[in-house]
Amino acid sequence: MSDKKTALRRNNVVTDGGGDRAVVFAHGFGCDQNMWRLVEPAFRPDFRTIRFDHVGAGKSDLSAFVPEKYSTLSGYADDLVEIGNELGLEDAIFVGHSVSAMIGVLASLKSPGMFGKLVMVGPSPRYINDGEYIGGFTPGDVEDLLGSLAENHMGWSNAMAPAIMGNGDRPELGEELAASFCRTDPEIAKQFARATFTGDNRADLRLVSVPTLILQCQDDIIAAENVGRFVHRNIAGSTFVMLDATGHCPNLSAPDEVIREIRAFL
Amino acid sequence: MKSVPSSEPGFHSGDLDDLYENAPCGYAVLQSDGKIARVNATLCSWLGAPAHELLGSRFRDRLTMPGRVLYETHLIPLLRMQGFVTEIVLDLVTANGKFPVFVSANEKRDAQENLEFTRLIVFQAEQRRTFEQSLVRSRDDAFQGLADEKATGALREQFIAVLGHDLRNPLASIDAGLRMASREPLSPKQSRLVGLMQASSLRMSGLIDNVLDFARGQLGGGLTLSRDASKPLEPTLRQIVNELRTSHADVEIVEAISIEVPVDCDHSRVGQLLSNLLGNALTHGAIGQPVRVEVSANANGLELSVANAGDPIPTAAMEHLFQPFFRGDVRQSANGLGLGLHIASEIAKAHGGTLTVSSTPDETRFTFRMPLVAWPEAAHPLP
Repeated sequence: MSDKKTALRRNNVVTDGGGDRAVVFAHGFGCDQNMWRLVEPAFRPDFRTIRFDHVGAGKSDLSAFVPEKYSTLSGYADDLVEIGNELGLEDAIFVGHSVSAMIGVLASLKSPGMFGKLVMVGPSPRYINDGEYIGGFTPGDVEDLLGSLAENHMGWSNAMAPAIMGNGDRPELGEELAASFCRTDPEIAKQFARATFTGDNRADLRLVSVPTLILQCQDDIIAAENVGRFVHRNIAGSTFVMLDATGHCPNLSAPDEVIREIRAFL
Repeated sequence: MKSVPSSEPGFHSGDLDDLYENAPCGYAVLQSDGKIARVNATLCSWLGAPAHELLGSRFRDRLTMPGRVLYETHLIPLLRMQGFVTEIVLDLVTANGKFPVFVSANEKRDAQENLEFTRLIVFQAEQRRTFEQSLVRSRDDAFQGLADEKATGALREQFIAVLGHDLRNPLASIDAGLRMASREPLSPKQSRLVGLMQASSLRMSGLIDNVLDFARGQLGGGLTLSRDASKPLEPTLRQIVNELRTSHADVEIVEAISIEVPVDCDHSRVGQLLSNLLGNALTHGAIGQPVRVEVSANANGLELSVANAGDPIPTAAMEHLFQPFFRGDVRQSANGLGLGLHIASEIAKAHGGTLTVSSTPDETRFTFRMPLVAWPEAAHPLP
């Protein structure tokens, strides 16, 4: 290929740390790689750390957003495989939050050998209820959510970024971060939400053969405990850990606990 | 400062509690785990639940399902990252259904940046939200309209391409065939037929040119000119006259062409203008009367006119002559598309000139005038 390392630019890949093995941190729906900023530094002494933004999020190349490609999680997984190839990843550790936990599963199946271990933080293979399976959402909920994203342009649209105030409370967070985190094109956000919340990747779980850790939060309405246990049951030999953390973002609300559990697993 | 006796009506410092409880907005304090630690009376009444029921429950659970997802995936991460959020659009779930609000919040943190509690303020936003929803809808409609326009535009481009190639090419073959046939020994009747067919082919070619230009003009680009002052204009004009003379052998064309200076114009456009005017005159002129073509170019500019005898153009029709698809008296077989004069006037305009008409019982005359910039003789000698 003549055009090398395009995925690294496209996905704003940031590497740090040092070590024989690499840990890839992937953010979920809603924000960008900064979601891992309280967790990732703890791994730098022993691992090569890799963070990136999914196309459409953070400082990724928005012009690379092709609606057809990103209409399912498979498109995002293809990007992850490309990143892994460009970095020459082998037997790496993948840590995925929320929807990225499943993106990591898909990537590990597309490119066996790239990831030797998977860490799934708040995973769900399917958000919409289906018979006996309770994903937590009805199809109507998902449609409402998509409409709601269109309305919330004022809250986190990138168009409003210049109006964001200075950040006196946390000076270590530059204005730049505040301006990009959680802010993206509402149309792209809507597409990502559609790909996330309408997908069904339950069948892929059984194909996972690498050691897998599932980190489950308390009282997580997006990926409830029964869903986390479903993932655990369907991935042979996986480890299930119930965190003390509540909500959907333990990487922000309880970084120390997340670091401890991932380290124990590795 | 005089103290105000407490018995007088008015605002007292103790009424700050009243402001907190009954302000026209909701106040709440959330513990670090998201549970409600304090809530004011206004928010209680909006939620339709007494304070003791709300305390210890999660604020998140008072939202609609999409609101809960946005709360977890956007609001909480943003709060943790930057310490505040503003104007987040959410819906509260109340006994009476959805209650649209804006929510702003900021965090109280300790010295180690750990979250102590979150201050939250809730504004009723029903009318504002309705307004914004209608804006979003209008924007979506506008985008849809634009997409439709683009699709129509693409179709029109295709239509032009069809005219340009698919119609013109076979016509050129017919024309070439007729020219070859005319060189063969022909009976007088055959010869007349070939002449008529050549006239038809020429007319059709002119019609295609006009339709093509009209379609292009409608796309907003208008007519584009490729001016060339170095080429002589006269041969172009004479060729047009000769072509039409051949195809209208029954009408006499008298031309007087006198071009003394270089003419900075688009030769094929001015030729098209002449062809349209002359074709018009040949069609509408009185039978047995000559059509006159007069062209002069000098320091005063270029003047090109075509005149024919016949009934004058009715006054009512005069003002519509140059509008597209206008057809005056529709006589047998004389009906074109009504684009010839329109295109001619567009060509005149594109050259910074004018196309005018005068019509009397003696003659009807169309005149194209365009100004000429003075060319240094040495730089652009006439060939």
